Amino acid sequence: MERLGGLSSDGWRESDLELSDSQIIERTLGGEPDAFNLLVRRWERQIYGLTLRLLGRDEEAKDATQETFLSAYRNLSKFRGEAKFSSWIYRIALNICNTKLRSRSKFTISLDEQREVSGFEPEADLDDLGTSIQREQVTRHVRRALQGLPFEMRQVIIMKEYEGLKFSEIADVLGIPISTVKTRMYTGLSELRKRLGHLREAV
Amino acid sequence: MNTQNKCNMHEPLMAYLYDEATSEERLRVETHLADCVACKQELQAFERVRGMLQQWQLDDVPVLRVVTGNRGGRSLLAVLKELLSVTPLWAKALGAVAMAMLVLAVLGTDVSVGRDGVSFHADLLRRDRTGNSSTVTGPSNTASPERTSIEQMRSDVKMLVNQLIADSERQQREELKTQLVSLQSQLESMHSADLAKIATRIQEQRARLKTIEQDIDRREGLDLTDILFSDASKPAERSTSRGGD
Repeated sequence: MERLGGLSSDGWRESDLELSDSQIIERTLGGEPDAFNLLVRRWERQIYGLTLRLLGRDEEAKDATQETFLSAYRNLSKFRGEAKFSSWIYRIALNICNTKLRSRSKFTISLDEQREVSGFEPEADLDDLGTSIQREQVTRHVRRALQGLPFEMRQVIIMKEYEGLKFSEIADVLGIPISTVKTRMYTGLSELRKRLGHLREAV
Repeated sequence: MNTQNKCNMHEPLMAYLYDEATSEERLRVETHLADCVACKQELQAFERVRGMLQQWQLDDVPVLRVVTGNRGGRSLLAVLKELLSVTPLWAKALGAVAMAMLVLAVLGTDVSVGRDGVSFHADLLRRDRTGNSSTVTGPSNTASPERTSIEQMRSDVKMLVNQLIADSERQQREELKTQLVSLQSQLESMHSADLAKIATRIQEQRARLKTIEQDIDRREGLDLTDILFSDASKPAERSTSRGGD
């Protein structure tokens, strides 16, 4: 078997980067543990994005991302080839985020989060959406609005909007029917519409 | 605000919004939207929400690397050795059983627990039965090779297992004995060291007491000598020094 040469920071070959996820897994399990870093490189952005948007806290998201890949590495032999690696690792990440959210004390919810949940928010002035300041403002509102959603809706919206998964793929990750995914998506968007309603210029 | 979607169009609406609608769904939604203002407004609102969601983009992504294998660290053997040195005996016994099972697994052997206790089924035997006996039994087994080789293999495996278990037990006993002996010697050395320390301390104390006693005696003696004997050396010195002052 051809070895993956120098898998340090930039040591991947072009041919290695073209390997499929299952080929990388095969190599990892076949005695080249460093090959797993190809999968990390391929999926870290998505997993970090997912965990950050689900948890809303950067440090926690970094921890969750790391835990996701470690868990995937440790359980790689349990991965079944018929499922997509992406679905599998998304599922691990979602479980880790869910555990983290559950372990959070209800007393640690920030004032911002509480205000968002209760629906009170000062009206924002968004005359010029093009500027970066206002973009940041919108982002802040979006973050808070998403954090206020129940986990089951939030995860569907994040996987759809930011990860670009198809409804069938989300259903696969969560192990629920496609119709349920669509219903959750619809309810989540309706909630967001209410929560972001104060941004009149934008919504 | 229509959040319930009384028209019961939420599923096709979602498919339409995310461009996943089939041609029939698309037609159905478009026909409906032409008549239903509420659903049309809802769809437009969702599009605006989507636009806002897309404002949240990530700038930086932390660089992750999963450290695999033992690169730059201790070898697996070293870690295993350390683990064994701090593992209690019961865990070692468990480990020995696990090791025996691992060996059997490598041999292609199933271990099952049934009514008759633990039983072993060697895959090698099954493979042997299917035909290609030459790889395992060798070309010399020509007369009724299958049964002979099966019996042979079975007894070999049994012997191997028994030997492994016996070896591990003996090894554990020896290890325990060695540990006990070393523990005893350690205790003894600690004990003797403590005794020696105590003895030294006692001697020191005695010496100090003696010095104090002598000091007291001398002082008493000095005073008496001072008074009674004028020719004693120290009082003489003292008187001299006094005279010097």
